Amino acid sequence: MKMTDLQSLLKAGPIAINLGLEEFAKSLQDQGAKVIHVDWAPPPPVDEEMEDLLDKLL
Amino acid sequence: MSTREVSIKKNRYLDSVFLMAVAQRLSEQPGIEDAAAVMGSAANKLILVKMGFNEAELAEAAQNDLIVALEGETEAVNGLLSDVEQWLVRPKSALDGAMALSLEDAWEQQETSNLVVISVPGEYAAREARAALEHGMNVFLFSDHVSVEDEVSLKQKASEAGLIVMGPDCGTAIIAGTGIGFANVVRRGSIGVVASSGTGLQEFTSLVHRSGAGISHGFGTGGRDLSDSVGGISTLTAIDALEKDPGTQAIAVISKPPGQDTLERIVQRLNRCSKPVAACFLGLESANWPSAARFEISATIDDVVANSLLLVGKTGGSATLLLPVKNAERLEKEVERMNSNQKYVRGLFAGGTFCYQAQQIMRDGGVAVHSNAPLEGMTMLDDENASVKSTLVDMGADEFTVGVPHPMIDATHRRKRILDEVQDPTVAVLLLDFILGHNASTDPVGDLAEAIVEAKRQSSEAGHYLSVVASVCGTDEDPQGLEKQEQLLRDTGVVVFPSNAQASQFARDILSKRMEVSK
Repeated sequence: MKMTDLQSLLKAGPIAINLGLEEFAKSLQDQGAKVIHVDWAPPPPVDEEMEDLLDKLL
Repeated sequence: MSTREVSIKKNRYLDSVFLMAVAQRLSEQPGIEDAAAVMGSAANKLILVKMGFNEAELAEAAQNDLIVALEGETEAVNGLLSDVEQWLVRPKSALDGAMALSLEDAWEQQETSNLVVISVPGEYAAREARAALEHGMNVFLFSDHVSVEDEVSLKQKASEAGLIVMGPDCGTAIIAGTGIGFANVVRRGSIGVVASSGTGLQEFTSLVHRSGAGISHGFGTGGRDLSDSVGGISTLTAIDALEKDPGTQAIAVISKPPGQDTLERIVQRLNRCSKPVAACFLGLESANWPSAARFEISATIDDVVANSLLLVGKTGGSATLLLPVKNAERLEKEVERMNSNQKYVRGLFAGGTFCYQAQQIMRDGGVAVHSNAPLEGMTMLDDENASVKSTLVDMGADEFTVGVPHPMIDATHRRKRILDEVQDPTVAVLLLDFILGHNASTDPVGDLAEAIVEAKRQSSEAGHYLSVVASVCGTDEDPQGLEKQEQLLRDTGVVVFPSNAQASQFARDILSKRMEVSK
């Protein structure tokens, strides 16, 4: 049977990337799980004028 | 002189939990009456306008801007806003591990990653989840306000890739012994569980642990997964995974009533399952239970725990915990001191599923209930802040948690509401839940103990006896300590039960007994 990626999660346990609340990364770390916390910020706002210009050029 | 002023920080992001703490600290400063610190989303700006802040000034703030809003004495407000930056400095991270600047960066640092935990604002969550799936990682999506279209497309994409999306609005999971989000510390064992309700999953796993058995894996799927618009995609994926998992002997499924087509699909899948199955569709009246099911269906979480224990050959340990105990004496003691006007229950819940299950138990006993989250056949409250006759309130519902922490983390709203309820002389019973585990309050009972003592005192002064009935969802291994929390409740004069179902039944029995007495 092919091992899917979900099955490998169940076998190995979480090796995690955390985006958002740092508390969630901390509790994973406290339980001994590997976790990388992302210092997340929203993407910069889209410049609509620039987007229109690009649309026209493409 | 009193004033309301706002300060806008352009392109500055801080997460909501940290911002709530900032607002809390600011509101405690001398001369400050009210404080808010929020990102500039349309919903947040609307709340600030309702609080009386200037709409034109707020219009300057975009979604990625941070707003600090203060109301109070002019001098105090201006003083704080002139140096607001010092309040926005995060304490040093408590994490030992690596940090990354983006999902991409984190993936490059740790290519063995198999799970991405996402709790960013809903409008950005689907984009991050999609990127996680494209890298072949599973997703735990805590964020809410993700559209149903995004949910379906993410779940289909995951399903095609042999992955799972737990959520959106998924609070809890336990994978190979590791709790994710709001999870209790439970031993590993052979029962696998799939739940579309977060507190339902917490109650199930805690009761299994307390009965001496353990959990192989616990999947949360998000509350909408079993609606017909989503069709149970993640539930079906989790069932497939648990069926293949060598450490799982039996599978439990817990949900609120699924969509009709989805219920049929789930039943067909469970009928074909090569492992024994137990299910609980909370809120679904037994007359509507699917007749085609070739597995045991239960009405309450306690019953699905008992059935699951039987499926893995575990008996004995559960007997004292789950079987109905003789409560006659306790009941008599609670009722005998009541005044003839006391006849209603007021339930204030941190767990949405507990509010729901309590309503089901009241309904089955013929008790009419008002709620802000009514079960079919119950009455919607006109004003969620004003209880009517018997009322059960989900204090974690959206209307109570915009801009403030969930009651599992912060008890401020519940504390105040307890003291409001006791002003009504017709109240006989106060029904409460307490939820322990990772990421919950460090002392859930301690947060409310003083308010309970005060409520009992006020009731007694008015010539009544207020019965307070509670359950604690948690285990001896949780950081808060189950025994310590239960003992504090007993010391406060609260009647304590091991589960929400039993506490709700006891509260219902008090009402029935009161009716008998008044006849």
